[in-house]
Amino acid sequence: MDHSTETPAAHGAHDSHDAPVDLAKSIRLYLKVGGYLILFTCITWAVALIDFGSHALNIGIGLAIATFKVALVSLIFMHLNHERGLVYKVLLFTVIFGAAMMFLFVLAYLDPIKASLTN
Amino acid sequence: MEIPYTVTARPDTGLYNAKVGIWLFLASEVMLFGGLFSSYVFLRIGADFPWPRHELHVLPGFINTMVLIGSSVTVLSAWASLKARRYGWFQINMLITLLCAAAFMCIKGYEYYGKFHHYSVIMQDGSVLDGHRPSDHPENYAPESHNGDKVALTDVNAISLNLAKSEASFLKHLRVSAAADKPYAEAPAGTVVKVRTPDGTEAELNQDWVKSLKKSYRNLENVRSDLAIIKERIDSPAKQIAEMKAAVTGTYPIPFDAAKAEKLTAQAVELRASSKEKIKTLEDKIAELEQANPVAKAATLNLQVVGAPLTFLVDERDFAKYNAKEIIFRDDVVLTGTVKNDAIPLNADVIDLRQSKDPEKSLVWKYYPQLKDPFFKHKEEVTGQFVKKHPEHANDFEKDLDWQHEALRVEIEELVAEDVYKKLEEPGEAINIERSDKRFYSNFSPSRSPYYAIYFLMTGLHGLHVIGGAIVLGYFLLTGRAMYKRNPEHLANRVEVGGLFWHFVDLVWIFLFPVFYLL
Repeated sequence: MDHSTETPAAHGAHDSHDAPVDLAKSIRLYLKVGGYLILFTCITWAVALIDFGSHALNIGIGLAIATFKVALVSLIFMHLNHERGLVYKVLLFTVIFGAAMMFLFVLAYLDPIKASLTN
Repeated sequence: MEIPYTVTARPDTGLYNAKVGIWLFLASEVMLFGGLFSSYVFLRIGADFPWPRHELHVLPGFINTMVLIGSSVTVLSAWASLKARRYGWFQINMLITLLCAAAFMCIKGYEYYGKFHHYSVIMQDGSVLDGHRPSDHPENYAPESHNGDKVALTDVNAISLNLAKSEASFLKHLRVSAAADKPYAEAPAGTVVKVRTPDGTEAELNQDWVKSLKKSYRNLENVRSDLAIIKERIDSPAKQIAEMKAAVTGTYPIPFDAAKAEKLTAQAVELRASSKEKIKTLEDKIAELEQANPVAKAATLNLQVVGAPLTFLVDERDFAKYNAKEIIFRDDVVLTGTVKNDAIPLNADVIDLRQSKDPEKSLVWKYYPQLKDPFFKHKEEVTGQFVKKHPEHANDFEKDLDWQHEALRVEIEELVAEDVYKKLEEPGEAINIERSDKRFYSNFSPSRSPYYAIYFLMTGLHGLHVIGGAIVLGYFLLTGRAMYKRNPEHLANRVEVGGLFWHFVDLVWIFLFPVFYLL
């Protein structure tokens, strides 16, 4: 998010504790982002009903929209567009380890449990 | 003690301490939910059954998404209100946030309730019937009556116990007939069960009596085993000599060691002489114990019911097996009588033949013969549409998961006219599935399939986060005024940290909703 559109509320969190805050402006921004989130939730539902020819594509599109929504929440609602370096360092490790964990299922392909073992 | 850096930033981190703390905590939370999402992927790609798609009602999940997004906006507004020193606005926004949390949990509860009252029977041939139990219809609700997951045994006149294993816990299944429509009412407290033991004495069958019998039997067995050990020791030399003799003509012959045999014989004689006293004492002790409590002499104890025969209604998970005359419990208790009402009553609403060996001969048609023609007519229609849309699959459409989902899993509502369906859903129209026809029977709880297991695990854990977050935010709302007067920035920071957790809860739901409800 561009620095110029930053809300006084978000700004006040870090720089000036007693700075006056434009409450109406802040709430307007939050409502706008909330509206986008609702809109994209509706789009997720609608997209799930469309047949893209392959179910994998449906899953991909659904997860892409969810990721975009998560980006909106974390950047604007959680102020990650304007945070101190330490937080990004913590999150960098989280992303690396989180992503590694999500790809653990590759192991299931490389070392599958054979049906004969379970019989 | 003053906690440092609750309001101002720490120079080295540039952040107030609680913020560093919450981000580290959220990082660990990402790993927690990441692990569960990873498990979900494992379960889904490894599933040996059709992974449920679009089986959950989307609307409650959709409304819950709206509710959480709304609460994220209000929790931010509450924080911004504190920054703007508008305490009234803070209160209003925080209150709305908490109401949203309550609404979320109520909707979740509604969904869970629906799942716990929806049942699924997997037949022996793999066919599946989902539906409701007639006893769950409010007008027909009688919890003490037969419910499908229980087997009723009437005219019980003989009870067999294994004193080495059995407990008296089977007595909790004792039922009495309270009225014509309540044949399986709970036995009132203090109900006495009188039995006759093999030696003709009468006793009151209860926990204490069984416990005392088991104790006597255990004592007796301990002495018997002591005696057996001594006798085995005395017999051991003779056994060894016999083995030595046999080895002479074995595949790998060993010459007979006469000196060793002689030594062993002498050993046996000595042992017999030295143990004589001990054996006598033990034998006397056994005789004494057997006489003191002749009922507990052997492990198996057959009891005859005195007076009117008994009735039991046993939960399926509590017994090991049963036949037309007996219910055998896992702890070897055997009740002998007449099995009644072992069928599973069901008002089906979904027929799923995706796992059926042969849909034409599915066991479902034994119970719903009238639905066979509409089912296959519907299947043909779906197939026609599918092939038209995907001409490349004209020859192998049966392998297509979408086709299977559309053609072989059908809601009965779609097959028949509305009034016919309504009639089928009436308790009186319930089918009675023979227990021998079912392979698996459960409500839509975690035991139904790995899909429902991980659905309840993840949404349940998420729900706990909603409750935890709401408690913290509620605490700020209730106790915030004093802190606001003392140091409003401190309260704002607290609300910011609570809000960050709340956004994380929202963020997890943003993934949970499509993953479980839509994809």
